Amino acid sequence: MGRSDASELLPGTLDLLILRTLAAGEMHGYGIAQRLRQVSEDVLQVGESSLYPALQRLLLNGWVKAAWGASENNRRARYYTLTATGKKQLLSERAEFSRVVGAIEKVLNMA
Amino acid sequence: MAWLKTWRKIAFRWRRRELDRELAEELEFHRALKQQAVGDLSSIQMGNMTLAAEECRDMWSFLKLERLLQDMRYAARMFRRTPGFTAIAVLSLAVGIGGNAAMFTLVNTLLVRPLPYRQPDRLVRITGIFPHAAAPFFQQRERTMDIAAVSPGSEFNLSGAGDAIRILASATSANAFSVLGASAAMGRAFEGAEDSPGRDGVLVLSNSLWRTKFGGDPSVIGRVVALNGIHRQIVGIMPPTFSYPSAQVQAWIPMRLDPSNFLEYWGGEFVPLVARLRTGATVAKAQLEIRPLIDEFRKTFPYPMARDWNHDSTPIALQRDLTGDIRGKLIILLCSVGLVLLIACANVASLLLSRATTRRKELALRVALGAARTRIVRQLLTESVLLALVGGGLGILLGTGALSVFKSLLPSSTPGLAEAAIDWQVAAAVGGLALLTGLAFGIAPALSASQVNLAQPIRTGSQRSTAAFWTRLRGGLIGAEVALTVVLVVSAGLLIKSLYTLSEVHAGFQPRQILTVRISPNPSLCTQRPACIALYDRLLEGARGVPGATESAIADAVPLDAEQPDLAVDVEGHPKSADHPAPMLWAGAVSPGYIRMLGIPLLAGRDLADADGPKAAAVILISAATAKHFWPGENPIGRHIKAAGEQQWRTIVGVVGDVRQYSLSKAMPDWIPGALYMPYAQAVREDGQIPASMTLLVKTRANSDGAAREIRTLAQDQDPNVPVGQVQPLEEVVAGSIANFRATIRVFISFGGAAILLAAIGIYGLVSYWVTQRTYEIGLRVAIGATRARVVSMILGQGLRVALYGIAAGVMASLAATRFLASLLYGVGATDPATFTAVTALVLAVAIAATALPAWRASRIDPIVTLRVE
Repeated sequence: MGRSDASELLPGTLDLLILRTLAAGEMHGYGIAQRLRQVSEDVLQVGESSLYPALQRLLLNGWVKAAWGASENNRRARYYTLTATGKKQLLSERAEFSRVVGAIEKVLNMA
Repeated sequence: MAWLKTWRKIAFRWRRRELDRELAEELEFHRALKQQAVGDLSSIQMGNMTLAAEECRDMWSFLKLERLLQDMRYAARMFRRTPGFTAIAVLSLAVGIGGNAAMFTLVNTLLVRPLPYRQPDRLVRITGIFPHAAAPFFQQRERTMDIAAVSPGSEFNLSGAGDAIRILASATSANAFSVLGASAAMGRAFEGAEDSPGRDGVLVLSNSLWRTKFGGDPSVIGRVVALNGIHRQIVGIMPPTFSYPSAQVQAWIPMRLDPSNFLEYWGGEFVPLVARLRTGATVAKAQLEIRPLIDEFRKTFPYPMARDWNHDSTPIALQRDLTGDIRGKLIILLCSVGLVLLIACANVASLLLSRATTRRKELALRVALGAARTRIVRQLLTESVLLALVGGGLGILLGTGALSVFKSLLPSSTPGLAEAAIDWQVAAAVGGLALLTGLAFGIAPALSASQVNLAQPIRTGSQRSTAAFWTRLRGGLIGAEVALTVVLVVSAGLLIKSLYTLSEVHAGFQPRQILTVRISPNPSLCTQRPACIALYDRLLEGARGVPGATESAIADAVPLDAEQPDLAVDVEGHPKSADHPAPMLWAGAVSPGYIRMLGIPLLAGRDLADADGPKAAAVILISAATAKHFWPGENPIGRHIKAAGEQQWRTIVGVVGDVRQYSLSKAMPDWIPGALYMPYAQAVREDGQIPASMTLLVKTRANSDGAAREIRTLAQDQDPNVPVGQVQPLEEVVAGSIANFRATIRVFISFGGAAILLAAIGIYGLVSYWVTQRTYEIGLRVAIGATRARVVSMILGQGLRVALYGIAAGVMASLAATRFLASLLYGVGATDPATFTAVTALVLAVAIAATALPAWRASRIDPIVTLRVE
C-alpha cells in the first residue's frame, strides 16, 4: 500500500481537494497535482484524466475561474482561482466530508 | 444555479473551438512540465489524454441532446447509404399514415366533432316523416322536447336579383333555428309566428348563396326577392358553419302552417321533425312520451292512415341521424386504411429486422469498442422513429390529397363535409401514430440486434447461426402481411365484381345519343294548364329544328336523375282502408314519343299518341311491375287508375317494360310497386297541378357536337325568366348515379394495389435475406452436388410456405370480414367463391414472382467463391 489514485476516493473528494488546494492562491493544473502529491507525501497521485475533467466541472459550476498567465518558466499557463461561491462550496463540502469521515471512524472503531 | 450552468453550456457553444484549443494547450503544458520532472515519459505514465480531453468536452455539452443529434446524424447517414431501403420504408409509411390522416379527419369532422350548435348533445331527430300539421300538434303537447319541423329542401326559382336561378330551399317551422341553437351571422333568423300565413314572406340566406349570388353585400338584408314568383324579404344570413338539414340547402323559408289549406297542411310534403330535449329530459323519457302522441296524432288525420304509421318513430341523436348513411362506409374505409398501415408497418419492421441482422457485425464492433447495449437499442430506435417521422410528414402531405378523394366518396350534402380539413388535432394524432409506429416496428429489430454475441460475428464475418426466434418473427410478420393483403384484395375484388354486375344491369332503357336539359318555370305559370302545355309544345317544335336532332320528347323525370314524381293513387278494384292506405306509384308525365325514344319496350296495348291531348279521354301506360302487382295474371288494359282525390278515372291503354328509375341497383323502393306514365297534356302532380319543371330530351345523330349549345339556346329563348340547366347526355346521368360507387371502388383498388405491392416487397425482402444468410450453406450444398433446380425449389418452397400460411389466414379473415361490406355489394355474395379463388391465385402468383428472383440468385451462387470467403 503506497499510492492511491485520487479518482478512487470517495465521490466528490477530488473536487474538495482541488478547492482546498486553490484556497491558498491561484495555481495551474500541473501545480495542483504536484501540490496534492507533496502535501499527501506521495499518497495521493492525481492523474491527468481525472484532474482536468474535475477542473472543467468546477468551472462549469462556477466555483473556480481560469485565466491565462505566465508560468515560472515563462510559458503560457492557465491559472485557476477560487470564486466567492467556490469558497462557500469549500466550507460546506469540508463540513460534509468531516461528517462522513467521522461516521466512518465510528463504524470502524466500534467495539 | 441550474440556469446559470445551462447558460454557461450554451455560451460554450460559441467558443467551442477556442476552448478546445485552450484545453489542448493546457494539457500540452502539463505534459511538458511532467516530462521535465520525470525525464523520459512513457505513455502509460502520462495517462489517457484523449479520454481526458473527451471527458472535458462532454462536461460542457448537453449530453443527452448531443447523443440524440449524433444518433440522428448517424441514422441520416445510414439512410443516405441505403436509398432503396429508405425510399421503400418511407413511402410505405407515408401511404399508410397519409391514408389514416385523411380518414381520421373525416371521422373526426363527421362522427366525433359535435355539431356546431348550442348544446348539440341535447338535439334529437324524431324518426319518420310527418305532415306540416304535426309541428303545431306536437309543439302544444310535448313536455320533454321543443319540436321543430325542417324540410329536406326543394327547388325554387330565385328571381329579382339578376338572372333567375334554381336554388334549394328548406322550409322550417319558425322555431327551428332556436331549437337548433343557431343564430344568424347577420340580420336575424325566423321569429315568433313567421310560420303563420300572411307573415311568412321572409327568407334567410346561406352564406354560400349570399356570397355567390349577392356578392357578399351586407346591404341585401331587407331586400325583397321572389321565390317561385312569391315575394320574400331577406331577413338574415347564416354563418358558413350552419348546414342543416344538408350542405346543399341554400336558403330557408318559413314552413306555412295553415290549417285551412287542407292539402298542404295534411298532405303535401311530409317533413322530418327535430327537437331539443328540455332540461332534465332524457331520450328515454322523450321516447315514452312520443309514442302515445303519435297514436293520438294519427287519429286526427282527416283521411285514414295505416295503423302502423310511424309506429316505430323514436328520438335519436341528431348527429347520428345526419351521419347514419355514411357511418358504415366511413368505418369500412377506416378499417381498410388501418389495414394498409398495418401492412406498411409489418413491412418496415421486417425490413428493419433484416437490416439489423445484416448489421450485426457493425453492432458487435461497437459493443466491443464499449458501446452500451442501451445505447445501441437507442440508436436503432432513433433510426426507426426518424423513419416514421419522415414517413409521417410525407404522409400528411399525401393525406391532404387523399382527403379530397375520400370526400368525393361521400354525399356532398353531408353537413360539415366541405369544412373537413387536416387540422392540428389530426396532425398531432398522426404524429403520435407515426411515433408509435416507429417505436412498435423498431423495438423488435433493436432488441434482436442488441443480443449480439460479441465474439462470433466478428470472428466469422457473417451470421450463420441466426437467432431463430427473430427469423420466425419475420416470417410471421410477412405471413400476416399477406393475410391482410388478401382481405383488402378480396374486398376490392368483390366491389369490382359488383360494379361489373351493375354495369351489365339491363336498366330498361337506351340512353345512347340522348341529350337532356332541365327547364324550370315558376309553378305559377302552370296554374293555367294551357300556358304550360303551349310552352312545351313550342319547345318540342323548336327541338325538331336543331341540326342533327332525330327525335325529341319531354318528361318530368328521366331515369336516375334523382327526380321522384311519386303519386298517391286510387286503383280500380283495390279500395283503401286503414290496413291498405293509398298506394304510391312512380308517375311520369311524358310527351308521346318518350317511350319510343328511350327504347322502353311496349309489352301490350298501345303507346301514348298525340291524340291524347288535354281534351281527350284520360289515358295512362303502366309498367310491367304495376300490372303484376295489381292484376297478376290478368289483362290490365282497360282498367282504371286515378290520382288520390281525383274525380275522373284514367284508362290504362298500354303496358311497358320496367325501368330502373331510382337507382341501377334497385328496381323501385319497397313502398312503390311500380310506375305509370301520363301524357303531359293530361298530367297531374300531387298538388293537382300540371308539372312545371320538365326535362327536354333530344336524340341526336352521332357527332353532332353543336347540338348541346343549340338546345340550350333554344330553351333560353323561350322565356328569359325561366332557369335552364346544363345540357347533359343521358349516359352521363346514368354514370353519375353510380359515381360514388365507382369512387369507392377506385379507393379499394388503390388500397388493394398498395397492399399487394407492399406484400411483394415484403416477401422479396424476406427471401433475399434468407438467401444472403444461407449463402455459405447453399454454396456447400452445391459443392457436394445439389443441382441448381434443387436450390431453386428449396428457396421457392420456403418463400411459398410463408405466403401459403398468409393466404390461408387471409381467406379465413376475409370470410369473417367481408360481410361488413355487404351493404356496398351488388349482385355478388360477400363470400363469392369465384372472387376468393381469383384473389388467392393472384396473391399466390405475386408471391411466386417475388420469391423467384432471390431463388434464381441463390442458384447462381458459386460454391468456390462462397467457401473461400468464409
